[in-house]
Amino acid sequence: MKNRALLLTATVIGGLSLVYSTGSGALAQVPEHDAPPGPGAGSDGAGGHPPSYFAGPSPSAPQAPGVNAANIPDGPPAEPSEATEAVAQQGSAPAHDDWPAYGRDNDATRSSPLDQITPENVGKLQRAFVYHTGSKPGPGQANKWAAETTPIKVGDGLYTCSALDDIIKLDPATGKEVWRHDAGVKYASIPYTAACKGVVYYTSSTVPEGEPCHNRILESTLDMRLIEVDAADGKLCEGFGYHGQVNLMKGMGESVPGFVSMTSPPPVVNGAIITNQEVLDGQRRWAPSGVIRGYDAETGRFLWAWDVNRPDEHGEPKEGEHYSRGTPNSWATMTGDNEQGLVYVPTGNSAADYYSAMRTDKENAVSSSIVAIDVKTGSPRWVFQTAHKDVWDYDIGSQPTMIDFPGPNGAVPALIVPTKRGQTFVLDRRDGKPILPVEERPAPTNTDVPGDPRSPTQPWSVAMPRLGFPDLKESDMWGMSPIDQLYCRLKYRRAKYDGEFTAPQIDKPWIEYPGYNGGSDWGSMAYDAKSGILIANWNNTPMYDQLVTRPVADKLGLMPIDDPHFDPKGGGAEGNGAMADTPYGIVVTPFWDQYTSMMCNKPPYGAITAIDMKTQKVLWQHPFGSARANGPWGLPTYLPLTIGTPNNGGPVITAGGVVFVGATTDNLIHAFDAKTGKELWSDVLPGGGQATPMTYEYKGKQYVAIMAGGHHFMQTPVSDALVVYALPDAH
Amino acid sequence: MATFHKPASGTEWATLVLAVVVVLLGLPLLIMGAELVALGGSWYYVLFGAAIIAGGVLMLLGRTLGAFVYLAAWLVTWPWAFWEAGLDGWALLPRLFGPTLVAIAVALTIPVLQRIERSTVTRGGVA
Repeated sequence: MKNRALLLTATVIGGLSLVYSTGSGALAQVPEHDAPPGPGAGSDGAGGHPPSYFAGPSPSAPQAPGVNAANIPDGPPAEPSEATEAVAQQGSAPAHDDWPAYGRDNDATRSSPLDQITPENVGKLQRAFVYHTGSKPGPGQANKWAAETTPIKVGDGLYTCSALDDIIKLDPATGKEVWRHDAGVKYASIPYTAACKGVVYYTSSTVPEGEPCHNRILESTLDMRLIEVDAADGKLCEGFGYHGQVNLMKGMGESVPGFVSMTSPPPVVNGAIITNQEVLDGQRRWAPSGVIRGYDAETGRFLWAWDVNRPDEHGEPKEGEHYSRGTPNSWATMTGDNEQGLVYVPTGNSAADYYSAMRTDKENAVSSSIVAIDVKTGSPRWVFQTAHKDVWDYDIGSQPTMIDFPGPNGAVPALIVPTKRGQTFVLDRRDGKPILPVEERPAPTNTDVPGDPRSPTQPWSVAMPRLGFPDLKESDMWGMSPIDQLYCRLKYRRAKYDGEFTAPQIDKPWIEYPGYNGGSDWGSMAYDAKSGILIANWNNTPMYDQLVTRPVADKLGLMPIDDPHFDPKGGGAEGNGAMADTPYGIVVTPFWDQYTSMMCNKPPYGAITAIDMKTQKVLWQHPFGSARANGPWGLPTYLPLTIGTPNNGGPVITAGGVVFVGATTDNLIHAFDAKTGKELWSDVLPGGGQATPMTYEYKGKQYVAIMAGGHHFMQTPVSDALVVYALPDAH
Repeated sequence: MATFHKPASGTEWATLVLAVVVVLLGLPLLIMGAELVALGGSWYYVLFGAAIIAGGVLMLLGRTLGAFVYLAAWLVTWPWAFWEAGLDGWALLPRLFGPTLVAIAVALTIPVLQRIERSTVTRGGVA
């Protein structure tokens, strides 16, 4: 009898430890973090370090070695000026065969007139060539790689960049390297992610055809440089900046390598290069500035700055001064409008993303917005805000797309603005007014964060289909079995959740839904003007967040990157953050079962939608991405079931009626029928396909290219392979 | 006084192990399910947990009734699952898949448990 009772006791203990044992990896495909401390544990007052421990460097302190990566002399602060007169650029009117800009054209349509590949023959696609950029994590280096690159194609060149910004020209038919410019970006300069979304093709207005640097490749780098090289031979254009380079850290004040970086191709608008920069999230309130600047595309000369808290000063900061710190930074790809003379800047929110009590009114007016800046003066012409007083990291990741919106009195110049919220706004480019109705709806304001009230309303684009689902219910919780499902139901009930825009909380976790990966993130959308079809792939991944008081943040080891006590393993961008200079740190995790690494909400975690822009109705929508490479504890299931995975990377639509998109965590490139949404073809890539594909024609043949660079955050395999497909030659 | 049945064959051992597994599965459902109710959530888990623990303990005691208690709880799970999740296959998966696998195993133990019951009755054992 006794031994039976013993057996029962032992199995009970064993079983409980099994239930509470840990796993790793992810169906969630998101990195592991410390779990939020949980109810009551966000404000443990004891312990911690004395305040002097956190006296970070002064914003005026000299920049750390390596910040001015090319050691470019600063020169005196420049006054505002105007750009050299520009000539027409390839991106304004792309040749039929070309893909001359990141978004195919200046309008960022990701739409190609090529029609050789059709729904009928797409199944026959074969690999034409694979090119290896050579940029991968080296021995002893953490995997921070996610190339995210979309090559461009002009004439006889396929131009691309490696994840560490080497500029490369390839033969479009063979993938043979024609030239390569070594950008010399160091590992220490990698911010959150080693990414180079693309390069820019620029035709000079002063250098005649046939002379060096008539056509140039422009790139912005992880270590904050602009580089221009000759498109013909890859040699630096001496007439641009300081021997071909411009130092964008000039006037930025204190910084360390990796704090500020550029990962998106800068648009050239009426001769002005417009720069924005990614400032690492979650570090400190007084992080380097989010200033937007213009530079002359011919000479690299400074033109103007738009600095949120110095709105009337468009010149460079005087000696000993710097651009205003902690202002909303913009890291997405901007869209330039030559006709309106505007650049559309998708902004994020102020530094210290989850705490807004220390923000200025000027910052609150322009954060998580589209700011249309006059490229002649650097002054905003209009602002449209997509989230008021954002404390959810709902910065705009997508490049807005310009379209002619059919109106009652003819076409209206319109801007499609995808957001992480899955709300898609359609604005008039001339004045920023919504073309489709936007409603201010009541938003939750209940919070225990002192002195940090929330906006009573938030904007909703009610006429456009929502790329998302209604608020979560307890019964939406998921798992493999009733036990892990129950665990998620408990997590749901233990947290504060008042629906979308649930306000931050200290005494318990709160659920952020949609999460900060979208909705729509940097992949952006594709729009075919002829059919009026808009293609969007999007995420459905809630987050589980908690504010923690400074002593708790100390215990968790949360330190900003420029603090001498910074530990790279403690917390970086996107996840947990010190939010130094504020009273709170932030703990952010996926809303998941951390023991199985499966998301707590039921699938799908990603979907793809086609919208008819003439009627704003959904043409088709379905879960996107299979379970083949995903499963509990991060194990591949090899199941071809379309569960719908998180996805990053945009779609491409072609006149042939085919949509190409990678993005999903199953490492496939997919082809869909644009009209029906039927999946026509897929191929397994050598790494994660977290990049927007592109298509071009060369010598009468259509090609489809995708950078299979993988993505560390999405936990897909890293690779350096650019994979290019074409139909087999007719026999 | 009830005593745990002493297994005498391979199938009896398997039945006993399954009974232990059922109890083990029931414990986290009972404990976390109670917290869920306290937080205003679903009553299903604590009730299902309590039921299958009772079923598992009865099976450990060599009672066929234990298997029927589990199967009854499993049967009730079906209408609840469809009521809560509708016809969404992915949403039905956690609610029905695992419990059904266990239900099949439990159903297979019924003849074994019946044999145990007959033998203990003939030995004049069970209370």
